[in-house]
Amino acid sequence: MFDLPLYLLIVSMVGAILAGLSCSTLGIFVVRLNIVSVGYCMSHAAFAGAAFGIMMGYDPLLFAILFSIGIAVLLGPLSDKAKLDSNVIIGVTFSLMIALAFIFLNFVPGVAATGAALSILWGSLFTIDINDILILFLITFLVLLFLILFYKELSAILFNRKLAEASGINTKLFLYTILFLTALTVSVSLKLIGGLLVFALIVNPTSTAYQLFFDFKKITVFSPLIGIASCLSGYVVSLESDFPLGASIVVVSSVIFAFSVIISPKRRKGRLLL
Amino acid sequence: MQNIIELRNVNVIYEGERIPALYNITLDIMRGEFVAVIGPNGAGKTTLLETINGLLQCTSGIVKVFGKDVKKYGNEIRKRIGYVIQNFEIDPLDPFIAKDVAMMGRIGRLGLLRFPKSDDWKIVLDNLKILGVDALADRAIGKLSGGEFQKILIARALSQEPEILLLDEPLSNLDLDSRKRLCELLSDLHESRGLTTIMVSHDISYIPEICSRVIVLDKGRIVCEGGKEEVATLECVSRMLHKGVKHV
Repeated sequence: MFDLPLYLLIVSMVGAILAGLSCSTLGIFVVRLNIVSVGYCMSHAAFAGAAFGIMMGYDPLLFAILFSIGIAVLLGPLSDKAKLDSNVIIGVTFSLMIALAFIFLNFVPGVAATGAALSILWGSLFTIDINDILILFLITFLVLLFLILFYKELSAILFNRKLAEASGINTKLFLYTILFLTALTVSVSLKLIGGLLVFALIVNPTSTAYQLFFDFKKITVFSPLIGIASCLSGYVVSLESDFPLGASIVVVSSVIFAFSVIISPKRRKGRLLL
Repeated sequence: MQNIIELRNVNVIYEGERIPALYNITLDIMRGEFVAVIGPNGAGKTTLLETINGLLQCTSGIVKVFGKDVKKYGNEIRKRIGYVIQNFEIDPLDPFIAKDVAMMGRIGRLGLLRFPKSDDWKIVLDNLKILGVDALADRAIGKLSGGEFQKILIARALSQEPEILLLDEPLSNLDLDSRKRLCELLSDLHESRGLTTIMVSHDISYIPEICSRVIVLDKGRIVCEGGKEEVATLECVSRMLHKGVKHV
């Protein structure tokens, strides 16, 4: 174990920390707004984008990012204009993206190309380099800055969108920004932990924090911390057991969530004070 | 007196509907007026309030508040209007603290990139105290009773320091004593701050004495308007409000 070059160890560990931080920070919004399936949708848009990139002979990651952001830009206005539940639109676009991915891959002969596109879905610790870290750092910085600068507006929207709008907050602008940042984070995290598993990193740490705290301020602090802890623990498990990194992170974060449900103060039986 | 709310031939038709929720409403409300809107369920009372603050866009007609078109300046206008929403369902596990919910009312007024200061918190805590819920300031919002939560929402609207207060059935979850005290508080606020107030109710007996005008809505139309005593004696109003209710 740990017989990897030091450089690769450090780069991949920093990548895991940044992915955990950014995804679980965005999870605060995604879980509360009940748009959890947006993660599925964006990761499969990235898959379709990667397939398109391979078909055209370009960098699959670049097109993965473009497709993911394209979906984010479409989702908000589409659900507002069409007055459809966002989960309905996400369900439709999710299957559309899978269909597109298979059509694109159909034009590319050979198993290797399909494998390259699928690697976007599963991710790999060893494919990350310093440039990816820099991009991930930039995205994480943007996400944290957004949360800190607009905390009061965001908390009001997450409490109740209609009341927030009644107080004069431009709720649409904030919701679209959340979708945009989610797409950006999902697509950039793909290379490290994979499109399918990045979704778990968005949902699990935040859901754990929601189990433990009644105060939204504490959730905004602890969700990213639980995300980082899940990533680091999953990283160690992956190195020790030779399990895939993404799968290890998901298993660890799911165990932490299950534990939080058991110890949650929200389910504690009432006691009579004497 | 200055005209603060102006509706001209306003029609509101919800998407997919053919029957207007509001039909050809023309209404002027003066600064400092206390107006009550009564009517049976589905009369369009909530639609009227949300058309005034621009949460709902009218299908045709003009809505002006503070002399500005609500369609164009919605967010700017809403920062100056307090709104107490009706029948708000709350999840018992909601991760929000009562005083933070009350502070949310001031957010639009504070503006972007400004954080609440001690003065803002003082206003919020004062309003919680006025409503008698200051002891609940640090409680989780989902753990409050319906009446307590209603008072937090009213404190939230008051913390906004609004020029217009829109109240949608504000007394619905309150016990008799709380109803009486809230009516007194609304009357005091109206007198001391000159707060323009529009209060929706389905029961004329809940309307405070200070109310200067009662508007009766039915099927999206203004059926009649006048003083509280005057409207209360109208037989058609009594019949409309008690329609479908069997007295045993």
